[in-house]
Amino acid sequence: MAFKLASSPHLKVKLQTQTVMRRVIMCAIPGIAAQSYFFGIGVLVQILLAVIVALAAEAAVLALRKRAIMPTISDNSAVLTAILLAVAIPPIAPWWLVVIGTLFAIVLVKQLYGGLGQNIFNPAMAAYVMLLISFPVQMTSWSIPTVIAQNPMDISLTLQAIFGSMSAEQLNQYKLGFDGLAMATPLDTVKTDLALGLTMTESLSKPIFSDGFGIGWFWVNMAYLVGGLVMLKLKVIRWHISAGIIGSLFICSSFGYLLSPDTHVGPLVQLFSGATMIAAFFIATDPVTAATSIRGRLIFGALIGVLVYVIRTFGGYPDAFAFAVLLANLCAPFIDYYVKPRTYGHRTGN
Amino acid sequence: MSGIVIAIVVLTILALVFGVLLGFAAEKFKVEGNPLTDQVEALLPQTQCGQCGYPGCRPYAEAIANGDKINKCPPGGTATMEKLADLMGVDPEPLNATEEVQVKKVAYIREEECIGCTKCIQACPVDAILGSGKLMHTVITDYCTGCDLCVAPCPVDCIDMLPVEQTTKTWDWQLNAIPVKQLQEDTLC
Amino acid sequence: MLTLLEQIDKGTLWRAHGGVHPPELKSLSNQTTIGQLPLAKHFVLPLTQVGDSALLAVEVNQRVLKGQSLTSGTSFAYCPVHAPTSGTITAIKPMPSNHASGIEVLSCIIEADGLDEAIKTDAHHAELSNQEILKIIQQAGIAGLGGAAFPTHIKLSPASEIELVIINGIECEPYITSDDRLMREHSDEILAGVAIIQRLISPKRIIIAIEDNKPEAIDAMQHALNSSTLANGTTRITAVPTKYPSGGEKQLIQILTGQEVPSGAIPAQLGMLVQNVATAYAINDAVANGQALTQRVVTVTGLNSQTPGNYWVQIGTPVKHILDTLGFNGNVANDKIIIGGPMMGHSLPDISAPVLKGTNCLLLPDSSEIADSVAEKPCIRCGECAVACPALLLPQQLFWHSKAEEYDKAASFNLHDCIECGCCSYVCPSDIPLVEYYRIAKSAIRTQNEEKKQADFAKLRFEARLKRLEDEKLAREAKAKEAAERRKGSMSSGDKNAVAEAMARIKAKKAAEAGTEPAPSNDIADKKAQIAAALARAKAKKAGAAAPTSEAAANKESAPADANDKKAQVAAAIARAKAKKDAAKAANTANTSGQSETDAVSANTAPAADDKKAKVAAAIARAKAKKDAAKAGNPATPDDAIAQSEADSATADKAQSADDKKAKVAAAVARAKAKKQAALTGNTAAPADVIAEADAVPAETVSAADDKKAKVAAAVARAKAKKLAEKAKQSIQDTDMAIEPETVSEPIETAISETRQETVSNIVNTKDSTDAENSADASVSLVEESASILTAEQQKKARIAATIAKAKAKKAQAKLQEKE
Repeated sequence: MAFKLASSPHLKVKLQTQTVMRRVIMCAIPGIAAQSYFFGIGVLVQILLAVIVALAAEAAVLALRKRAIMPTISDNSAVLTAILLAVAIPPIAPWWLVVIGTLFAIVLVKQLYGGLGQNIFNPAMAAYVMLLISFPVQMTSWSIPTVIAQNPMDISLTLQAIFGSMSAEQLNQYKLGFDGLAMATPLDTVKTDLALGLTMTESLSKPIFSDGFGIGWFWVNMAYLVGGLVMLKLKVIRWHISAGIIGSLFICSSFGYLLSPDTHVGPLVQLFSGATMIAAFFIATDPVTAATSIRGRLIFGALIGVLVYVIRTFGGYPDAFAFAVLLANLCAPFIDYYVKPRTYGHRTGN
Repeated sequence: MSGIVIAIVVLTILALVFGVLLGFAAEKFKVEGNPLTDQVEALLPQTQCGQCGYPGCRPYAEAIANGDKINKCPPGGTATMEKLADLMGVDPEPLNATEEVQVKKVAYIREEECIGCTKCIQACPVDAILGSGKLMHTVITDYCTGCDLCVAPCPVDCIDMLPVEQTTKTWDWQLNAIPVKQLQEDTLC
Repeated sequence: MLTLLEQIDKGTLWRAHGGVHPPELKSLSNQTTIGQLPLAKHFVLPLTQVGDSALLAVEVNQRVLKGQSLTSGTSFAYCPVHAPTSGTITAIKPMPSNHASGIEVLSCIIEADGLDEAIKTDAHHAELSNQEILKIIQQAGIAGLGGAAFPTHIKLSPASEIELVIINGIECEPYITSDDRLMREHSDEILAGVAIIQRLISPKRIIIAIEDNKPEAIDAMQHALNSSTLANGTTRITAVPTKYPSGGEKQLIQILTGQEVPSGAIPAQLGMLVQNVATAYAINDAVANGQALTQRVVTVTGLNSQTPGNYWVQIGTPVKHILDTLGFNGNVANDKIIIGGPMMGHSLPDISAPVLKGTNCLLLPDSSEIADSVAEKPCIRCGECAVACPALLLPQQLFWHSKAEEYDKAASFNLHDCIECGCCSYVCPSDIPLVEYYRIAKSAIRTQNEEKKQADFAKLRFEARLKRLEDEKLAREAKAKEAAERRKGSMSSGDKNAVAEAMARIKAKKAAEAGTEPAPSNDIADKKAQIAAALARAKAKKAGAAAPTSEAAANKESAPADANDKKAQVAAAIARAKAKKDAAKAANTANTSGQSETDAVSANTAPAADDKKAKVAAAIARAKAKKDAAKAGNPATPDDAIAQSEADSATADKAQSADDKKAKVAAAVARAKAKKQAALTGNTAAPADVIAEADAVPAETVSAADDKKAKVAAAVARAKAKKLAEKAKQSIQDTDMAIEPETVSEPIETAISETRQETVSNIVNTKDSTDAENSADASVSLVEESASILTAEQQKKARIAATIAKAKAKKAQAKLQEKE
C-alpha cells in the first residue's frame, strides 16, 4: 500500500536549464547575423567548428569521468560556450585556434572544475584570454568590414583562409586591406593612435570611424543589444548584471571624456564598440560564474564595467571584456559572501 | 664597515622591539587554562561512558589535547571523530570500536524484574536512574545518555538499551526510507 | 505620514518579496456546493497529546457519542479530541499517521454504529464571559484549520495587546477551494465567528483578506459584513493580488501592513493575530451551537478524483473511505496522494491515515498534472530561487551547504527562516528539490542542537554527581572523625571493657558500611538474616573450592527435598533443567540430541506426573527438544547450550511462578547469571554455568516462599554462581576423574541420576567428570540455599546447617584428594 512519495512542492515550472540555454543561443542570432554580414561568413564556420569540437570534447570528458553523457550534452551549455568563444575569435583565424580554444574552455575550464555549475571562470572568456596571450597575432587579425564589403569572401575562400590553404599574401590582404593600409579594430586604432600621441579627434577621423563608432562594430553591438533585450523580456536573464556593466562603463567613460576629451574615448563609442554588448548581455550574465544575489549582481556588473574602462583606457590591450569578466568571476564568491540580502524578519542583512 | 654595524644595530633594535611586543601580547592576551581542551570537550558527546578508557569526557578531552588518538569515542561515532580530526588537524581514523549503525539508545529498565538493588543508580554517571533500595528503579529517559554503564552492574539483567524511536516530531525527512518499511510489512502479511 | 491604521483603512497594500504564480486550477473543485461525505465505518483519531498534556478519557470497548471528548487534560496547551460520531472504541493503538513520514502514532479507533448519536449540548447564550468563551473554544477542540492546527484558544488569549486581527481567506495554494466555498456559503457564520474573536480580543481593526481570484467569496463576505453587527468601521474586507504564498502568515502581514514579523517571533509581537476563516466558522459553531470540532470542509480535487468538490468530512475519517466513496481513478503504483496543496502538501504513504483538523485538501493528481520528480541537474546558480523566495533567503547557498551537510553554514544563511513554501523548487530550472534538502538539513540541525543540549545537560549532571559523591565522602570522613573523637573520650574513662565494646561497635559499623557500599539493598530490617547470608556466601566459596563428592550431594540434596512439597517441585525443575543441559551436552559430542532430549523429557514428566505446571514445562521441553533436533545437524556450540539453559530456567520459573511473584525475580537472576557466565567462562566452563543456573532457580523459589529475604538470597546466589563458574573452570582443568553419581531414594534425585546415566552412556570420559562435578556443586549450593532459608526462619538452625555443610565440604575435599 505504498503510494508514490515526494517532498513538496509537487508542482514545477516547466522552464528547464536546456530551455534557458537554448533561448540564449536564439537571442544571439541577430548579433551573429550582423557579425557575419560585416566580417564574412567565416564567423559561421568558426561557430560550426567550435560547436562540433565542444560537443565532442564534452562527451569525451564525460565518458572519462564516467558520467551520463546525453543529459549533460543536451543542456546546450557547451554549445553556448562554443558560440561565445567562436564569435570572439577573428573570423578568418586559422582553424586550430578555435579548436584549441574550445578544448581549453570545455575540458580545462569547465569539466575539470566539475562540469556545469562548478566552474569558477567563464569558459569562453578564459579560453579567449588563453588564446590572446598565446597567439596574439592570430587573435588580433580581425578582417576589416570595409575590405569585406569590397571583396566579399565566399564560402570556399573562407574555408581556404581558415584551413590554411590560402596563401599568406592573400590572407594578409583580407586582414590588412588590399591597399596594404593597416587597419585594426576601432578600439585598437584608438589605443595605437593615443600611444602615438595623436588626439582623440585625430584618431576618430580615421576611415574606420567613418560612421562615428567604427564601421560594422556599431551594428554588431546593436544586434546583440536587441538580442539581449529579448532575453530580458523572456526573463532568460535578469537585468542587474547588464545594467551594472553598461551603467558603470557609461559613467566612467563619460567622466573621463568630460575631463579630457582628447585622450578618452566617448561613452557611446565605449558602449557600441568592441565586445561591450555581447559581453554585457551574453557573457557576463553567465549565472554560474556571476554573483547570485540581486545587489551582488549589480556590484558584479559594475565591477566589470569599471575594469573594462580601466583596461581599455590604461591597459595594454585594446579590449578588455575577457579580462574584466575573469577578474569579476574571481570576485564573485567574495561579493556573495558580503552581499547577502536581508532575510525576512531580520533587521540587518547578514 | 659602518654598514654592517648599522645593520646589526637596526636588527638588534628590531628584535628587541618585537620581543617586547610579543612578550607584552603574550601577557595581555593570555588565555587561562587550555582552550583546546574546552574545544575538544565541547565536541564530545558527554555520555561519560568511559569507553575511551578515561573516566569521563573531560579527561579524554585533555588526553586528546595532549595528543591522544581521536578515535576512541564510540558514542560520538564517526561524526564526532571527524570533527575532532578537523579541530586537531589530524587525519580521520576509523573508530576503534566495531560499532553497528549509529543509533541513539537509552536504557530501559524492565520494571517488573527490577529487584531494587541500586547498583545501576551508582553506575549511572549522570544520575538518570531513579529509585531506592528494594524499590523499583526507572530510567529518566530524557536524561539518559545511552552510555551503557548501568547494564553490566545489573544483577538481574533487567536493563535493556533500546534505540530511541523516531516520532513525527523527530523525523528526518528520509522519504525513501518509508517504502522499505512498508515492503517489510507486506511480506509479513 | 499616515498611521498604519489609516493606511489600512485606505486599503493600502504593500509588496511582499518573491512569490510565484503557479496555475490556480481552482475551478476544478469550486463549482459545486459543499457536499456531505457519508459516515465511514470506522474512524481513526490520533491522540497526539496523550502522554504529554492530556490523559486518555476512554477505554477499549467503551461506547462513545458524537462530540464526546476522548481525552482529558487541564494544561493550557490541552486541545481535546472528540469522537466524530457515535460508536464503540475497538482499539487504542498506534496507527499510520497523516504525516509525510507515515510514522505510527497512538490513535483511537472508533467503530461507527451508524446512529450518529450526539452527546447533549446546550446552545450557549450571549451572557458568557470571555473566560467562558475561551473555555468553550478549548473544550470544542478548535485548532487552526488552515493547516498548522495550532490550538486556537492559545492564540486567542494573547499575552500582549492585539491591535489588528487578520482573518485569512487568502487560500493561495493551487487547487484548494475549501475556504472559498465556505466563504461563499457560510459568510454569516464566519462573520459571527469574527464577532466572537472581536469580543475576545477587541482589536482596533479586523481585516478579512481574500485573494482577488475569488470574487464570489469577496462579494458574499462583503454582503454578510454589511448586514452583520460588525460593520462599524473596524472591519473591512481587503482583496489581495493573487500570488503564492500570500496566504502565509508572515507574507500576509507584510502585504497588509508592510511590517515583517521578526525572525523567531510570532505576529502577536507586532500586535497582530491571524486566524483562518474556517477557524472563525468553527469558533461560531462551538460558541453559538455548542458543537465540538468534529468535521471540516475538505477539498477533494485533482484529475484522479471522479467527483471533485468540497465536502464536509468527519475528522478521523480514513482517507481510504474518501477515495472509496468519491471515486479514485489512480492506482498505487503510479500516483501520488497529496494532503494539502501541491506546493506545501505532503504525499501520503498510507491511505488508512485519517483526515485531521488541519487537512484542508486531498489532492489526487494524475501523472499528467503532477509529473514525477525528475533527476536533479547541476545548479547553474541562475538565482531564480532567490528572486522567488518570499523570505529573502539565498536558496542556492542554502542548497550548497545543505547538500554538503555543512549545517552550521546553512544555519548561518538563516535556514531556520525558510517557510518551506516551495517557491524555490518550483522555479528551479535544474529540477533540484531544494525544499527537501532544507527539510533534511533542518531536521539534522534540530537533532544536532538537541544532542548538544543533551550533552551539555549530561555534563552538568555528571559534574553535579561528582560533587555529590565528593560531598558524601567528606561527610563520611567527618563522621568517622567524630566517632573517633568520641571513642577517645570514652577511652579516657579508663574502663577497658567499655573500650573493647566500643571497638567492637566500630568494627561492626565498618563491616556494615563495607556491606552496604557494594549493595545497599542489604540494609534490610532483619540484620541477622543478612549475617547469615554472608556466612552462607563464605561457605559457598569454600565448598566450591573443595569440589565435593557425590556423597555430599546425596545428603545435601535430600535436605531441601523433604522440606516441603513446594521444594519438591523446585527440585523437579532442577532435574528438568539438568536433564536438558545434559542432553544438550550430549548433542555437542555425539550429535544424538534428539534421543537424549526425549529422555530428558521423560525424566521431567516422571516426578511431576500429577502436576499441571509440570505438564506445561514438559510441553515446553518437548518444543525445545524439537528445536535441538534441528540444531543437532550442525554441532551445537557451548553457546547454544547456554542459551538453552537460560530458556530452561525460564521454564522452571514458569512452573512455579503461578502463585509466587518472587519466583520471577529468581528467574531473572538465573537468566542474568546465565548471560554473564557465558561471557565469563570459556568453552570448558559451560557445564559450570549449567549448575549455577539450575541452583539458582530452586534456591530462590524456595526461599521466596513468603519471605522478603528472597531478594537477599538472590544476591547470594548470584555471587555464588559467579564464583562457582570460575572455580568449576579451574577444577575441570585440574581433574579428569569420573565420579559416578549415587542413586538416591528421592524420586527427584532418581530423575536426575537417570538423566545423568543416560547421558553418561552417550558421552566420553571427560564429560562424565564434568557431569559429576555438576551434581556435586549443585548439591553444595543447594545446601547453602537451604541454609539461608532456614536462617530466615531460625538463625540457629541455619548456623547448624552451615556447619554441616562446611564439614561435608571438607570431607568432600579430602575424598577428592584421596582419589587424586
